[in-house]
Amino acid sequence: MSGVNLSGIVKSYGAVQVVHGIDLDVAEKEFVVLVGPSGCGKSTTLRMIAGLEEITAGDLTIDDKRMNRIAPKDRDVAMVFQNYALYPHLNVADNMAFGLRIRKMPKAEIQTTIADVAEILGLTDYLERRPADLSGGQRQRVAMGRAIVRHPKVFLFDEPLSNLDAKLRTQMRAEIKRLHNRLGVTSVYVTHDQVEAMTLADRIVVMNDGRIEQIGTPMELFNDPANIFVAGFLGSPPMNMVNGVLTKNSAKIGATEVKLNGALANHVGREVVVGIRPEHVTLKASAKTSPLPITMDLVEPLGSEALLHARFGKQEMVFKAETKGDIAPLWNVDKVHVTTDLVKLFDAQTGQALNLRG
Amino acid sequence: MQNWNLYARGDKIFAIVVSILIGMFTVATLYPFIYIAAVSFSSGFAAQAGKVVLTPVDATLEAYGYIIKDPQFWISYRNTFIYTIGGTIMSLLFIIPGAYALSRRQLKGRRFFNLFIAFTMWFNAGLIPFFLNMRDLNLLDSMFGIILAFAVNAFNIILLRNFFEAIPQSFEEAARMDGANDFQVLWKVFVPLSKPAIATITLFCIVSRWNGFFWAMVLLQSEEKIPLKVFLRHTISNLSDDDEFAIVQTAAGFSAETVTAAIIVCSIIPVLIVYPFIQKYFEKGILLGGVKE
Repeated sequence: MSGVNLSGIVKSYGAVQVVHGIDLDVAEKEFVVLVGPSGCGKSTTLRMIAGLEEITAGDLTIDDKRMNRIAPKDRDVAMVFQNYALYPHLNVADNMAFGLRIRKMPKAEIQTTIADVAEILGLTDYLERRPADLSGGQRQRVAMGRAIVRHPKVFLFDEPLSNLDAKLRTQMRAEIKRLHNRLGVTSVYVTHDQVEAMTLADRIVVMNDGRIEQIGTPMELFNDPANIFVAGFLGSPPMNMVNGVLTKNSAKIGATEVKLNGALANHVGREVVVGIRPEHVTLKASAKTSPLPITMDLVEPLGSEALLHARFGKQEMVFKAETKGDIAPLWNVDKVHVTTDLVKLFDAQTGQALNLRG
Repeated sequence: MQNWNLYARGDKIFAIVVSILIGMFTVATLYPFIYIAAVSFSSGFAAQAGKVVLTPVDATLEAYGYIIKDPQFWISYRNTFIYTIGGTIMSLLFIIPGAYALSRRQLKGRRFFNLFIAFTMWFNAGLIPFFLNMRDLNLLDSMFGIILAFAVNAFNIILLRNFFEAIPQSFEEAARMDGANDFQVLWKVFVPLSKPAIATITLFCIVSRWNGFFWAMVLLQSEEKIPLKVFLRHTISNLSDDDEFAIVQTAAGFSAETVTAAIIVCSIIPVLIVYPFIQKYFEKGILLGGVKE
């Protein structure tokens, strides 16, 4: 089985430790996305899997074989780089054939392999072109082609879409997903873009400051973030966070009480951070909501919905609301209604999620 | 200059001054060429009398006729080609891998080695220690000695090293993931990507080898090993105080000046032929290290 296993992986540069002991199991055929802000150690982790960075401590196994001291070329992994790293002096076919030639694959076999992969990626008409004569999306495809022709056990992607414009990124994202469904190769994908992470991943690994914050399916992470960091990182716009104190049946934020369901009796007086996702409010009150008075700053229309930038006391918050074709009435909104079931609570000291509602 | 009217007064003055300076520089650079060529095609009398200014006077090919009949001219011409081609290949064989190694971050003691190489640009042992060194290595009066001794040039290594350093690391990493070893990374990726830099260095090597004079004069004694420039030097000193030659030249219509000029013209021609082929790279190459592409 072509899984990747990281056990207690540490990376230090001199005295500075940047990855602090990572444990991760990537199952065969799984698509795992490492996501986190710049400098969180996600690319370093990927490069350690690739063999481009030495592993300071811990064990890396691919296919149950320890890989710590194995050269990149012998790990049977292929990588797609952020800047594509296509050889500018070679045409598309030669770029894809580069690794196969070095591995002394017979010429005829190289040709058929490249023809097959070019077909899959829609590059057949571009095989004679140099990278400079290709569009960003085509270059991206060639970079993937170069990885695919080798039939590796594991694909590694290092922010492969970050150099593309927004529209192309969406398109290529779908292509990568389709390709993965078709080829079924174990993949580890690094990005700082939470939308990419949500859309592509079987499982997401959220990293911060050289540590894993949470691992889970996209919806698990979205619905049940383990802590404030994960809650703030996934979701766009991010979750609104505001300090509060628990009462018997609500969280008191300033003078406002946000009703909460569940058994809070043992926690009265506990300081918490209340998390409200922008989309978890309505403009109409109901039995399942609790009102939150706001002052409207700005309404940003997105078409069918709008982003409401508002202040709650001194705190800036963002909410989503339907436009119903007109944003003018939204300027007059002075109150949103929080869906009480969906409010998240985090410990004010540790930042860890609290599940007090049983 | 079609937008001349859009220039501010200061810019106009600047443009005029620059044009004049460039014009003067062009004349100063070009005139010696033209003068030497004109002398080489003039009669010995005219050259000696100082009548040649811009164009040949009493045009004749006598001087060329004289030198092409001299077997030593052809021997030294051949030697110059050997030194130039052999020396350039030898230089590239040292400089390319050397620059690559110095550009790699994983090289242990990289800073020391870089400093070590750069040090030789400012300080060297000097004439006599170098000569003694060559003597002790049995490389005096040796064609191979000339080719080997001047193969490594710190400036060229640094130039190429800077170019290699500017190549994104991901090319190397991609090649490694593709299974390439160090040599394959260098020859299959870095060298093709560095064509402008390598062409520039090749031209530097060719020109310096072709014009190499001083050390060849010091280190080579045998006539059959000397390059063209040393032959030229011998010719100048021989002809000026050779009475017999003075009698011959009067009859034949050439002089020491015209023969010297003819040898110079012959020595320039190959470089003039090579230059256009490398020019496009050379112009790019001059900017190397200044701009990261």
